[in-house]
Amino acid sequence: MFLLPKGIPLFENLAVGMLKLPEVISKLSAGSFTGYASFVFQDSTVILVFEAGKLVSAMSEEQNGNRQTGFEAVSALCYRMVGKSGGSLNVYKLSKDLTTCIHALFQGEILYKAQELKLIDIKSLLKKIGTDRMNGCLRIYTDDRSAMIFYKDGSPLGFFHDGSQDIETSANESQKIAGLPGAKIDLFSTHEAGRLMGLDLLEVVNIQNIWETAVAQKRSEIIKINKAREERQKENIAAKIAELEETVKSIVVNKVGKVGRGIVEKELADQGGNACLLDETKSVKFLAGIERSAKLLISATSLKAMMELLSKTITSARIER
Amino acid sequence: MEQFIELITRINTFDLIGVILWGLAGAISFNFSIGNARVWTSISLGFFLIFIGQAYAINPWAHDYGLSAFHNIVGTVAIVVITHGFLEYYVFCRTFEISGKKIAVYLFSLLILVAGGMFLYINPTPSPNTIRNFKIVENAIWVFLSIMNLELIRKIYIAIKDSPISKAFIAFGIVFFLIFLWKGSELYLQIFQWDRDWQDITAVMNGKVPDIGNFTGRVNISMLVNKYAGLLSSLSVGGTFIYLYRLLK
Repeated sequence: MFLLPKGIPLFENLAVGMLKLPEVISKLSAGSFTGYASFVFQDSTVILVFEAGKLVSAMSEEQNGNRQTGFEAVSALCYRMVGKSGGSLNVYKLSKDLTTCIHALFQGEILYKAQELKLIDIKSLLKKIGTDRMNGCLRIYTDDRSAMIFYKDGSPLGFFHDGSQDIETSANESQKIAGLPGAKIDLFSTHEAGRLMGLDLLEVVNIQNIWETAVAQKRSEIIKINKAREERQKENIAAKIAELEETVKSIVVNKVGKVGRGIVEKELADQGGNACLLDETKSVKFLAGIERSAKLLISATSLKAMMELLSKTITSARIER
Repeated sequence: MEQFIELITRINTFDLIGVILWGLAGAISFNFSIGNARVWTSISLGFFLIFIGQAYAINPWAHDYGLSAFHNIVGTVAIVVITHGFLEYYVFCRTFEISGKKIAVYLFSLLILVAGGMFLYINPTPSPNTIRNFKIVENAIWVFLSIMNLELIRKIYIAIKDSPISKAFIAFGIVFFLIFLWKGSELYLQIFQWDRDWQDITAVMNGKVPDIGNFTGRVNISMLVNKYAGLLSSLSVGGTFIYLYRLLK
């Protein structure tokens, strides 16, 4: 996933689940923040770039390489923040120039993506950048570190490493990362700073609305899931009660004879259906009804044994529930 | 007491045994009614009332026509209460509904008997012919309700035939068959005026004896059936309640 050098940290590893995007953006905007906010999820990263409190750029990249920018990226961020429990927020302060470079980078084109450094001829590539007088950015990165080299008209403009707030002139960090096993590069071509759209996304995107829609959708999904779960539970309970009813009938039929099935059905109907078996008060009334009827058909000894068995069966079913 | 001893010595031994057996059956059935459900109360109280109805044979005041008629009323109430009990049992077998209280059965039976007593009290003292009419009515009701009870018992047995108590209903079937013979044979004699009461009445009134001599065979058979079926009925009632008691113990 897309990893920018860290810059000067303002906040790191804030749990996204506790945050509301409109509030986060509002705070950064009100503080005339310049830099970027990186929302890191398990399967995607969303980066919001601010320049003097304006949201100038937004980029979302999924693990599979799918990219979204601008409104789509902000919208995707809202839905991810609402829908996923994990994720962390990191906010890094950068200089205006560096911010502009990153803004340009997000609006640029990807020329090479995730190329293994050891498999490419880096010298030829650098030479080509100079020959073509490219405006762009070469990103060198591993899984947890990243450095950037910005080019203007084919000449290196400067470097962006972890912990730097501004464009630097030293190439040491970039060289270190390039020397790490598994290092990869991305090459982006960018527009000139003057041609970048200086649009504030906050003026064209109603983040509050998107957030509320995402929250409402999530709530509706939760309601739907809960409803489905409740229905499943109801079905399970109904199946268990039906099973209990059959057990009760078989106990009574075993002692009283076939007529016992009718007695059980009548007493259940009197108590409002087989759900009464799981209700303490109603099940007592049900048992009293069974006892009263069975008294006309079986001996006191059999009746006592049957009532004990019924009571035990119903009680244990109620406890299991 | 002397009057009672004199009466006992005058009673036919066979009749005395019959009364004693009905007394035993009545005691067993009444005892059974106390600790059991309402439907059994009706049935057992009814059988106990048969004993009261039959006890005129040892009643020292039985020569009183009013009291004699009251025994017939008690006998009639007995079969009505028994039938009510079997009807309730049949309703239970079909709907599994049990309603009402035992005390209502006792009170209702008592009320009917009091009403019967009042009926006799406010009317002229019955003549021997009236007493005979009472007996005919009683026997007719017994015969009709015995047939009805046999049908009810058949239906109850079919409904509960795999229940432990079902065999007791076979016993009740035998009881009502015997009662049907007992009461039916007497009714037969009464309908054709071959009964002893009618013979006595006509002898007193005009000295003529009915055409009984032309039908001695069937009259004797009917009398024999009446005699032994009555005795066997009392025995079967006592036995049935003992059997029922064991089944429900």
